[in-house]
Amino acid sequence: MLQRLRESKSAQGTLLALPTTVWLFVLLIIPLILTLIVSFGKRSPDGDVIYTFTLDNYIRLSGYSTDCPDGQTACFDPLYVGILGRSMSLAFNTTFFVITLAYPLAYFIARAHPKQRNMYLFMVLIPLWTNFVIRVYAWMMLLRKEGAINIIIGWVMNLLNIPFTPLEMLYTPGAVLVGMVYEFLPFMILPIYTSLEKIDNSLYEAAADLGANAVKTFLRVTLPLSMPGVVAGTILVFIPVMGTFIVSDILGGRQVILVGNLIQRQFLDARDPTFGSAASLILMVLTLIVTYFYTRKFGFGEEIVAA
Amino acid sequence: MNKKNLYGLLGVLVIASMVLTACGGGSAAPASDTESEGPKVTSTGFECPEPSPRMEVTSTELNIFVWTEYFPQDMLDCFELVYGIKLNRDEYSSNEEMYAKISAGGSSYDLVQPTDYIIGLMIRQQLLQELDHSKLPNIGNFDSGWMDQSFDPGNKYTLPYLGGTDSIVVNTATVENIPTSWADLWKPEYAGRMIFLDDSRAVIGLTLLTLGYDVNTTDPAQLEEAKAKLAELVPNIKVFDSDSPKTALIAGDVDLGMTWTGEAFIANQENPDIQYVYPTEGPILWQDNWAIPVGASHTDAIYAWLNYTMQGDVFWLTIRDFQYTNPNKAALEYAKANQPDVYKAYADSPITNPPAEAVANGHGIEDVGDATPLFDDIWVEVKGGQ
Repeated sequence: MLQRLRESKSAQGTLLALPTTVWLFVLLIIPLILTLIVSFGKRSPDGDVIYTFTLDNYIRLSGYSTDCPDGQTACFDPLYVGILGRSMSLAFNTTFFVITLAYPLAYFIARAHPKQRNMYLFMVLIPLWTNFVIRVYAWMMLLRKEGAINIIIGWVMNLLNIPFTPLEMLYTPGAVLVGMVYEFLPFMILPIYTSLEKIDNSLYEAAADLGANAVKTFLRVTLPLSMPGVVAGTILVFIPVMGTFIVSDILGGRQVILVGNLIQRQFLDARDPTFGSAASLILMVLTLIVTYFYTRKFGFGEEIVAA
Repeated sequence: MNKKNLYGLLGVLVIASMVLTACGGGSAAPASDTESEGPKVTSTGFECPEPSPRMEVTSTELNIFVWTEYFPQDMLDCFELVYGIKLNRDEYSSNEEMYAKISAGGSSYDLVQPTDYIIGLMIRQQLLQELDHSKLPNIGNFDSGWMDQSFDPGNKYTLPYLGGTDSIVVNTATVENIPTSWADLWKPEYAGRMIFLDDSRAVIGLTLLTLGYDVNTTDPAQLEEAKAKLAELVPNIKVFDSDSPKTALIAGDVDLGMTWTGEAFIANQENPDIQYVYPTEGPILWQDNWAIPVGASHTDAIYAWLNYTMQGDVFWLTIRDFQYTNPNKAALEYAKANQPDVYKAYADSPITNPPAEAVANGHGIEDVGDATPLFDDIWVEVKGGQ
């Protein structure tokens, strides 16, 4: 038996993949199937699931309705489509700002002296030692009307004799964006760093030998070779931002409703697991579509493995 | 320092920290204190009253699932000290959150704290166990006005914990025209300055009141009207918060809104300009209760806890630390006799001790049965639609 295992490469492979396969099956595939079944169900007044087959939840999500106020036969309520659109645009914006901030920093770390590199990477990781939710609450302290940022600006303005009314920053969509960018920054820095660090120094020398200036070297050598890191980072940032609800709950004052909040509320406040399941599946499908087109254009990003 | 020494030092540190943790664990175990003689004292120096009567308890644990910011630390510590029971506490900030967790099953909570209106649903869903009144010798400590309520006739399933109101809270230093009715909150001058509880039934309820309807209406037409009215208000609200609404008020992020008794009392103590106003349409009245979920396993500890916290000399701590309206007359008498300052602050404050006409004018939220989805949909759609 053992002898056979030692000789058979495929048996080894099967054995090594077994734990993960079981894990994924039990904790991903089965729950997904259950979600799908529930999403075709109906709710009872008390919030139990009545198992049947109806597309009502999906139709409600699309906003299409035949029960219209003005006696029309059909009308369209953009509520849920609007929430999805808002989440999507927030995810795009977050990813954009994260790349803009992460790239220069990753570049700086990758070009630093090897002895200092580990130190810098360590500093990038330190915030992750603190719980995600606590870090969001910390932003509350910074952004509120009498918070640190307003106090500092007020102090500077006072020195310059410019009248200053505290900025309204907390409980706005901007606060949610800031919180998201902050939370997901490390997940972009690390993959970009990994691809930048791998670039062979001789490539820069070759570029210089062939007469490329700094800008040209960056555009023709560094940027293309670091794209896998950017792609991997984008996947690691975009997908979680689409579904996160904690940041918008805390920094948006439960007034900025994203699709994550919508889903969470169906399971808690509204006691409608069937509609929540339908919304979860639609979110997943949308995310898959975006990721699919993105990776088809840019490749999957080998750094996702390294990250 | 060479590498070998460094590893040696690290090893010593690791062992030292393990030894220290072990010591910490030992001294924190309350069980070791139960046998010792003399009064038990909490870390704040509060001397724990003896349980009367002392219940027969073999459990070593009690798991409670309760509202946030609702328990005097001394009360929790004393229970652990006098009975040698480890109290595990999880918290929630809405009935819906609690309900979702309990109805999902698999939780091992011994006690939960549902508010009046959700109890009917929990009983219908067979999530609660009946109480054994023979094991509740201290039940007479409650004021009868808080017992035998419509949501649980005869207290078959529940016992009161604390009660209170949802009403208007306003910072009189920053708000020029003080609102006197729920309807006033719709005024444009308050836009972007308000905090509301993230509580669907209360917020929809007060909207119904401004339209002259009952807070527990099940008429779809009235609810549709309330939805349209609420949709006008929601963009004016800056934040929904049921965890700690006082924080935003005290920090000056918001100037007015609606909140509940205890949060208003603390905000008022921090900043006396923050006042509690009973609206002309009447405040929302509510009562939080103890209930035992199905599947609770530490029955003896449950009754030990219920009886101990019902004692006047224990429960008065809630008057000291979490100022809600107190249903326990033994606690009020104890405070009056032994803690006159605490009692005076409670009795003199219109927040904790609401004037009779405000109570008479108040509205209790009740279970609406089959109309529940209508309320749920209003909440999600109104809040999602900005």
